[in-house]
Amino acid sequence: MNEQEYNQMIKRCLRCSICKWIPQLQIKSQKYATICPSIDMYNFHAYSAGGRIIIALALEMGRLKPSKDLMDIVYKCTECGACAVTCKFLNTLEPLEIIVKLREKLVSLGYGPMPEQKQYIESIKNNNNPYNEPHEKRMGWLPSDIKNDPDAKTLYFVGCTSSYRRKEIAIASARVMNAANYPFKILKQKEYCCGSPILRTGDKKPFIDQVNKNIDVIEKEGIETVVFSCAGCYNTFKVDYPLERDCNFKVLHTTELFNELIENSKLELDNQVLHTVTYHDPCHLGRNSEPYEEWDGEALQMMPFISINIPEKPKRSGANGIYDSPRNLLNKIPGLNFIEMERIKEYSYCCGAGGGVKSAFPEFALKTAKTRIEEAEDTGAEIITSACPFCSTNLKDGIIEKGSSLSFYDISELILMALSSQPKSVKELSKGVT
Amino acid sequence: MFLEKEIFKEFEDIVGVGNIDDGVVITNVYAYNWCMEIFNYMDGKEPIPFSPIPKAVILPSSTEEVQKIVKLCNKYRIQIKIQSTGLGPWNQPSTDNCIIFDMRRMNKIIKIDEKNLYAVIEPYVSGAQLQVETMKYDLTIHMPGAGPMVSPLASATSMNGPGFTSPCTGHSARNVLAVEWVLPDGEVMKLGSYGLKNNSDWFHGDGPGPSLRGIMRGWAGTKSGLGVFTKVAVKLFPYPCSTDFNVKGNSPNYDFDIPDFMKLYVMDCGNFKKLEDVMLGVEEEEISFMCSYLSGFAVMAIFSNSIESLMDKIPIGQMKAPLVVIITARTKREFAYKQKVMDFLLNNFKIENIIGKIYTPKPIFYAEALRSNLGLHGFIATGGFQSSKGVADTAAVCLRSTKSNIPLKQEFIKKEAIANDFGEGTWMTSYESGHYFHMESPTMFDQTEESSVKGMAEYMEKSNQLDLLKHLGAPFFVEGTRMHELFGPYMSNYHIWLRKIKETFDPNNISDSGFYISPQNK
Repeated sequence: MNEQEYNQMIKRCLRCSICKWIPQLQIKSQKYATICPSIDMYNFHAYSAGGRIIIALALEMGRLKPSKDLMDIVYKCTECGACAVTCKFLNTLEPLEIIVKLREKLVSLGYGPMPEQKQYIESIKNNNNPYNEPHEKRMGWLPSDIKNDPDAKTLYFVGCTSSYRRKEIAIASARVMNAANYPFKILKQKEYCCGSPILRTGDKKPFIDQVNKNIDVIEKEGIETVVFSCAGCYNTFKVDYPLERDCNFKVLHTTELFNELIENSKLELDNQVLHTVTYHDPCHLGRNSEPYEEWDGEALQMMPFISINIPEKPKRSGANGIYDSPRNLLNKIPGLNFIEMERIKEYSYCCGAGGGVKSAFPEFALKTAKTRIEEAEDTGAEIITSACPFCSTNLKDGIIEKGSSLSFYDISELILMALSSQPKSVKELSKGVT
Repeated sequence: MFLEKEIFKEFEDIVGVGNIDDGVVITNVYAYNWCMEIFNYMDGKEPIPFSPIPKAVILPSSTEEVQKIVKLCNKYRIQIKIQSTGLGPWNQPSTDNCIIFDMRRMNKIIKIDEKNLYAVIEPYVSGAQLQVETMKYDLTIHMPGAGPMVSPLASATSMNGPGFTSPCTGHSARNVLAVEWVLPDGEVMKLGSYGLKNNSDWFHGDGPGPSLRGIMRGWAGTKSGLGVFTKVAVKLFPYPCSTDFNVKGNSPNYDFDIPDFMKLYVMDCGNFKKLEDVMLGVEEEEISFMCSYLSGFAVMAIFSNSIESLMDKIPIGQMKAPLVVIITARTKREFAYKQKVMDFLLNNFKIENIIGKIYTPKPIFYAEALRSNLGLHGFIATGGFQSSKGVADTAAVCLRSTKSNIPLKQEFIKKEAIANDFGEGTWMTSYESGHYFHMESPTMFDQTEESSVKGMAEYMEKSNQLDLLKHLGAPFFVEGTRMHELFGPYMSNYHIWLRKIKETFDPNNISDSGFYISPQNK
């Protein structure tokens, strides 16, 4: 979004509050009708997408000046993008892009990111990960029996969260690829944070540094395909990297890859996994994973105030996120009873961790996770699964905080359970994972 | 502008920490609303989308808290402005000595009485939320044209609320039953059967004694000019067809399983006289779920979800007097009967249904009709949209107003102040099977261009004058002292009585009168 588009769009909010609800036609109950974790938590209109658009306008008009209070409101948003899906059912505003640009403006004025976010950005600069962990321990997750092929043209980009915090996801993903004899390589010490945690805070420059570091290595290694088990890394490579630099490699999420492997009979799911499971769509794998399409058309003025784009300008509506792959996988696991929550796919409710919220506003992240866990509980499922280590962390925290009887497993762990060569029970699988 | 520290603390003690804010950011956000720039310009102010900034915003969670806050406001002579879902300039304060109540935390459906056909709700229950819960009982609600995201309580107690289903569900003003009302002095008034000492319930809005519903809302509602409505009972209606509601695919290109017994008719009546005859004919038979005259441009809009998809429907836009009718039924036999009646009328009036011949809408249109989402299509062309005062009267008077309005609108289209809808941009619907009718002139403008904002405001002023000079009946929507004083002398001097109500019920002028009527000499 350029400056001119930003300045036009911030004048166009109807204050209709549609950004607070799932698409009106999809509302199935009063309980699960809302979509925005921020307004659900903080209640004042300023905490909705519409409210933040008004803040952007008031800043441009000089009615407001950057301040700590203003920064607090702008950063108490998970940037989940649900507001954009629901607004764009009929409208042409880009609420998420406005919020992102508003953060960039605050950073340029010296008012962002939040202190906790600045700390993790420093850690990325110093350690290549946001967790302040030593870079040399990045491969600490890798068991000796997992095969990786230094000559493979496919890279498994593990990501910081799976490398240091959710090792079980990295292990399961690698084991499934091994089981399919799918060759992949790992960058080991040459893998760096994708930059997503920086980008979401509006601090563009250090993000671009990460883009360059990662693409330089990938190009040097002659990689053709990059596979991710982290929805955040996947999204950043697929959607945000091409805006900064050409990417001459294919990106795949493990849910897409595993589907392909099953379709091509490279993987056989023959173990019964006798559980009722519900699936949480990660925002970064779902609605936000649509890449920007180039548009080289022109706006034709039909009459005063009415112009149309020729050809029609592609709208990132959330329709083309990765929704089918994880569902296909779950439906293919023998014995598994897959059951949907009310808010799914492009109108899925966020886990609460994104946009820098987990570090800067942990109570907000936790409350949102508990809301989502309650929705999962209401389905009658025993297990909630997802396809993102960051969602995994926050949802697990939500389960503990809520005292829920639900268990969380990443979808790669469920696939692993369904392989005949692997442990049959979920308890056995998670043994030894810290 | 801000509250004094001690006064802030008194409010905070009522609602709890975090439920009141007088910071510059929050209060500025609450000063913004859609079309505020037009109302500012009409009041001789700068055409910006911001009203006066409230002193604070407060989030009550119960009637008791509302009472306490109102009493405190009386003590400190601070005015109050109430918002539920908050769409439109009517939610905005007219002075900076005002606290906004955001009713978000009062969001419960208290009761759905499926046998006696009413639901009791708090202010922040949205139309879509209530509708979906009533659908579980094979019932539905009346939804205002503003859309399913707005508050049925606000519409029923404080606005007018015509909607696309008005032929079978009336309008919001006609759907209000018992009410819990915190008066401007902080006392609670229970209207109708809810006020009974024994066995109080919500099924009725009147009695014993004189009806207070007229005091509470009159024709056009007080738009928060007379206290706070904390609970309301609204009527429920049988859902018009099967409640299986299966929306498939992904936004915005949803698909929908059209219910078996639902059929759309779009007919070009050719001229307004014939349109009147056909509308009356259809409504006399009491068969329609929806029966609206929409200009050709508006018909294009209700079938479109973007400006590009609107423009490829230009052949539809060339219809002279389009009538959009939907019939629905619960049984095959009922559906067959309604279709036979429609066939008879079409044959009788020598008109054709273009649906399935010239145009076939996407199935999602039917879902939007059932969920009352069609009004929002008014925004797709320019993003800016507002209506004239309109008329509620007979079909003949509504159409006379429509015809008179065309040359006026064309004048402003020629000046390039408003968007070109061929001057015919009018929406007209029947109320309650044609007992009376509603007409307004939705008009598209560009809120980002000052010349368009000013032009739109001038058009609205002239449209009001036109109503008066040509005696085009009672406007369906009147707000603010200036408008009431403009229309009152032509209509039984109602504004004098309205003012007496305001003075009696709000002796300290606590409820912001910006969109109601100011007390005399204040």
